[in-house]
Amino acid sequence: MLQCIFLLSDSGEVLLEKQLTGHRVDRAICDWFWNQILTQGDSLKLVPVISSPTHYLFQVVREGITFLACSQVEMPPLMAIEFLCRVADVLSNYLDGLNEDLIKDNFVIVYELLDEMIDNGFPLTTEPNILREMIAPPNIVSKVLSVVTGNTSNVSNTLPGATASCVPWRKTDLKHATNEVYVDLVEEMDATINRDGNLVKCEIYGEVQVNSNLSGLPDLTLSFANPSIFNDVRFHPCVRLRPWELNQILSFVPPDGQFKLMSYRVKKLKSTPIYVKPQFTSDSGTCRISVLVGIRNDPGKSIDNITVEFRLPPCVTSSDLSPNYGAVNVLADKTCSWTIGRMPKDKAPSMSGTLVLETGMERLHVFPTFQVAFRIMGVALSGLKIDKLDLKNPLSRPHKGFRALTRGGEFQVRS
Amino acid sequence: MAPPAQSHRSPSPSQPSGKGEVSDLKTQLRQLAGSRAPGTDDTKRDLFKKVISYMTIGIDVSSVFSEMVMCSATSDIVLKKMCYLYVGNYAKHNPDLALLTINFLQRDCKDEDPMIRGLALRSLCSLGVANLVEYLVGPLGNGLKDGNSYVRMVAAVGVLKLYHLSASTCLDADFPPLLKQLMLKDKDAQVVANCLTSLQEIWSLEASTSEEAARERETLLSKPVVYYFLNRMKEFSEWAQCIVLELVSKYVPMDTEEIFDIMNLLEDRLHHANGAVVLATIKVFLHMTLSMTDVHQQVYERIKAPLLTLVSSGSPEQSYAVLSHLHLLVMRAPYIFSSDYKHFYCQYNEPFYVKKLKLEMLTAVANESNTYEIVTELCEYVANVDIPMARESIRAVGKIALQQYDVNAIVDRLLQFLEMEKEHVTAETLVLVKDLLRKYPQWSHDCIAVVGNISSKNVQEPKAKAALIWMLGEYAQDMQDSPYILEGLVENWDEEDSAEVRLHLLTAVVKCFLRRAPETQKALGDALAAGVTDFHQDVHDRAFLYYRLLKYDVSVAERIVNPPKQAVSVFADTQSSEMKDRIFDEFNSLSVVYQKAQFLQPSYMFTDKEHRGPFAFSEELGNLSIGTEPSDAAVAAQRVEANDKDLLLGTSEKEEGHGYGSNGSAYSAPSYNASTTAGASQAHFDLVSIDQPSTVHPPVSFAIDDLLGLGMPSAPSSVPSTLQLNAKASIDANAFQQKWRQQPISLSQETSIDPRGVAGMMNPQALPQHMQGHSINCIASGGQAPKFKFFFFAQKEDGSSAYLVECIINSSSCKVQLKIKADEQATSQAFSELFQSALSKFGSA
Repeated sequence: MLQCIFLLSDSGEVLLEKQLTGHRVDRAICDWFWNQILTQGDSLKLVPVISSPTHYLFQVVREGITFLACSQVEMPPLMAIEFLCRVADVLSNYLDGLNEDLIKDNFVIVYELLDEMIDNGFPLTTEPNILREMIAPPNIVSKVLSVVTGNTSNVSNTLPGATASCVPWRKTDLKHATNEVYVDLVEEMDATINRDGNLVKCEIYGEVQVNSNLSGLPDLTLSFANPSIFNDVRFHPCVRLRPWELNQILSFVPPDGQFKLMSYRVKKLKSTPIYVKPQFTSDSGTCRISVLVGIRNDPGKSIDNITVEFRLPPCVTSSDLSPNYGAVNVLADKTCSWTIGRMPKDKAPSMSGTLVLETGMERLHVFPTFQVAFRIMGVALSGLKIDKLDLKNPLSRPHKGFRALTRGGEFQVRS
Repeated sequence: MAPPAQSHRSPSPSQPSGKGEVSDLKTQLRQLAGSRAPGTDDTKRDLFKKVISYMTIGIDVSSVFSEMVMCSATSDIVLKKMCYLYVGNYAKHNPDLALLTINFLQRDCKDEDPMIRGLALRSLCSLGVANLVEYLVGPLGNGLKDGNSYVRMVAAVGVLKLYHLSASTCLDADFPPLLKQLMLKDKDAQVVANCLTSLQEIWSLEASTSEEAARERETLLSKPVVYYFLNRMKEFSEWAQCIVLELVSKYVPMDTEEIFDIMNLLEDRLHHANGAVVLATIKVFLHMTLSMTDVHQQVYERIKAPLLTLVSSGSPEQSYAVLSHLHLLVMRAPYIFSSDYKHFYCQYNEPFYVKKLKLEMLTAVANESNTYEIVTELCEYVANVDIPMARESIRAVGKIALQQYDVNAIVDRLLQFLEMEKEHVTAETLVLVKDLLRKYPQWSHDCIAVVGNISSKNVQEPKAKAALIWMLGEYAQDMQDSPYILEGLVENWDEEDSAEVRLHLLTAVVKCFLRRAPETQKALGDALAAGVTDFHQDVHDRAFLYYRLLKYDVSVAERIVNPPKQAVSVFADTQSSEMKDRIFDEFNSLSVVYQKAQFLQPSYMFTDKEHRGPFAFSEELGNLSIGTEPSDAAVAAQRVEANDKDLLLGTSEKEEGHGYGSNGSAYSAPSYNASTTAGASQAHFDLVSIDQPSTVHPPVSFAIDDLLGLGMPSAPSSVPSTLQLNAKASIDANAFQQKWRQQPISLSQETSIDPRGVAGMMNPQALPQHMQGHSINCIASGGQAPKFKFFFFAQKEDGSSAYLVECIINSSSCKVQLKIKADEQATSQAFSELFQSALSKFGSA
């Protein structure tokens, strides 16, 4: 099992070290690891599981922070990797972001969290709701509270009641003044469009996010109008699987607050809401580029937050790009980002310009991939529809709210 | 937290030495120790924070140990936590001071707040000081009986910590039986899970010395215990579920009904949000159904969707671990993902390690139906900005081409790559074209036309250059300029750094000379002259070999350097299927992830080595023979492994290192101390006087047979038509494999089998036994309905000839494919008849 966890900054400095077992892991392992990164050129190039002469190392990189875990014994690889991912999630959730300074400022909290998340190398709990009950997050509210009440501890003095209850993700005696529950469908469209403009792959990855502020022990059921569209689903532990297997109904006692109820995948979609058509024509050392963006299948709501990003090939020495709508930014590493924002009603945005190639090059033969981001409020592009949400044991009728949203995920257009 | 010993002796210059600050802290802490004034806790907290932050950045603050302990009398839980952290870090190195902490930790273990009791107990167990274990027993015993589950949970793990500190103390206190009791009774699932992990570790470590522990370890895998865990599965946290599932995967169910019960119970785990749970569940499924072929296939179908979701929805790190497992599965059952190939299309912004695995998946799932789409996709990556990715993609295209699907279209695409005029693309493609030509000589015409247009100046990478030169030599008669290009390359001999390229150049020039002597003579002379003075041992030796050969007899040289080639059927796979099989035993372990990372030793050393049957061997044979197309029986005799030489060329580079070392001794060989320039020019002189080969195509076959020592069949016609087989013939598996690889196919036939015989195939041993009755021994068998594969061996009565047979039986169509390899070609027909008659009696007897 895991023997030690290190948090490293983007320059290889050890921000934090948490020994988990009696077999102490020397910090020198971090130097070895960092050398590997330096020889590979980039931490993102190093595979997540590597073996040093003494240990097996697992690494997960988030926002420039490397979460490094060491083990000397065989163990399921995904257990270590998943755990590190959860640690990263919990920390960024607690600290409201993840960077060197935040970790340095709050290292005591990080230690406390790790202490509860893993003991003797075996993960215990990574459920944010439970952790929150044991260790209060360092937010402004609790700071204000502590000043007012004079209780400066950010650790609650009571044990979470839930650890002994049959629904470990929920406190038993919750009381809310507001009695409300919100369900959000958040979908991401992953699409790949090839050089000829054909849709190679188009999928939706979606999440059902619930924000529950209900008192007592509410028992909810959520049903969809068209559950048959799901290709694969994954659930929060609170979901009872039997009703789902039988009738495709989600029956659950929700954790308190915001959580991800389920995630799903819908494959083989036929079209995208938006098109991006890049074109390159080379002629004696320069290359004309033009990119057209437009609506292909009107989703019925406005498309906003549109950006198109691509990286100029290294053989391009200079570029001159101008859009008829929005703004173009070319960064030092040759990343061009064209921010369109909301899709205009009256015209189709386009960008054109010239690229100057390296001397000696006649024409461009490597072409960039365009990454497209967009957002459509009010629509779940997979077509998923929520049928109804019921509360089985209502003390009072709660306020219910539904929203949907689709974003561009890995939306890539090759040229 | 623990600064490595050397680092506090010599802190790096960028860090503050911290000495002044530490002594400052010390005095401040001391002042606070006894104070009860309001607000003290806040000041303390700031100071503690400072101490811990020093500790975190690696400054040794162990000198304030006693002050920290003095200040620890507080009710503030954050202060306590910081103090525990500090103590846990330094106690091991300061055992004497650690004694000071025992007191307050023990007191905290009796605190009324369960959180403090738990935390104190955890710290107490983590001190790691062997002398203090006696103080642990009491609090641990109380902890296990504590009313609060949090404390029990900590205590359960604490027992394991104690065991690692002092096994005897732990056992004497009778903790393991207590844990077992808790494990089977406790209301809290986390306590149960912690008991399980502790007990597993303790009993497996004890098992070697104590029979009782070994027995206890067995009971963990007994039906009641496993069922107990399965029934409580849903109460466990996701991580505890992983541990329980790992345990279940080791459980051996009694019958199929039990297997189905367990699988039904666990099926919903496949929907779990945690990838580790999903993978652990899949492991259980795969293990339980290994012996049930049909169900095993269904399991593959069932696990497909969850696995693909894990790949596409997780972080890159998770994708990587899952993809490694997919790769393993796809090796076992390539068809499972063949319709889902689009999931392995690479995203532009994925890390390289994920992309590389995806490419491997794409090559593995390619089959007749999807090759076109996959290759089209791969071609898009070739034009990508990312150079390593472009290279990998070209290699993937080549691998698919070598798998024989839709070669036509692929060769066209590859040739288009050559026209892209990008150096790395050209280089990578050349290497591939070379391999392709070795396998599909029929494409030589198209390829040569394009390759001929490539200027050798644009090719710099040694591997690519070597490939180009090989083609120049091999297809000298088809490429107009070949002798002149080679001549140009020979002129630049001294500038060529790579020995591999020089070796290829030598061979190519000789080949070219044998075909187009007048045009190549000058180049040959120059090349040999340069070769014999080369500092590289292999180049030097080869130059002399050619020189002597040419001098001895040009026709012999022709036969050795340029024999008729046989197309390579299968390139030696880099990873044996035995290895893949082994790794499969370790699904959901690190070895799977390592499979491709060439670090350290393969981690399959980890697990036990039993479980190896003859099955793995038969798989390997199957691999070797796949795609061995029956071809012209007439050239069979000459089907020498001419390609072996090419393989040798490849390996010669590895010996480079040795070459330098042994230079001196090699040069002292008596008749050839020609390493001086004088000698070399002499050699050159001699060469020019070599007779030009008058016949470019000497009668080859006879001498080649001689050369290989196969011996010509003395009188093929006199072989009696009734063949007697040696009833006691035997051969060991390795020798068989060796022989199978070396010999050409002498006969390839298709026949049918009696349907009654097919019925008999239900028992895998039936056919081998039947054939043994006819003096034909089964060496290996394998396969699954409807396709079975057998390897047989037989020997002539007088032992003069051995027969090797690959027999593929399709039980649904009753068709049998035979491939026979024989020492004596002439008798293979007779043997085939004998074999078929024996086979036809199978099932009818």
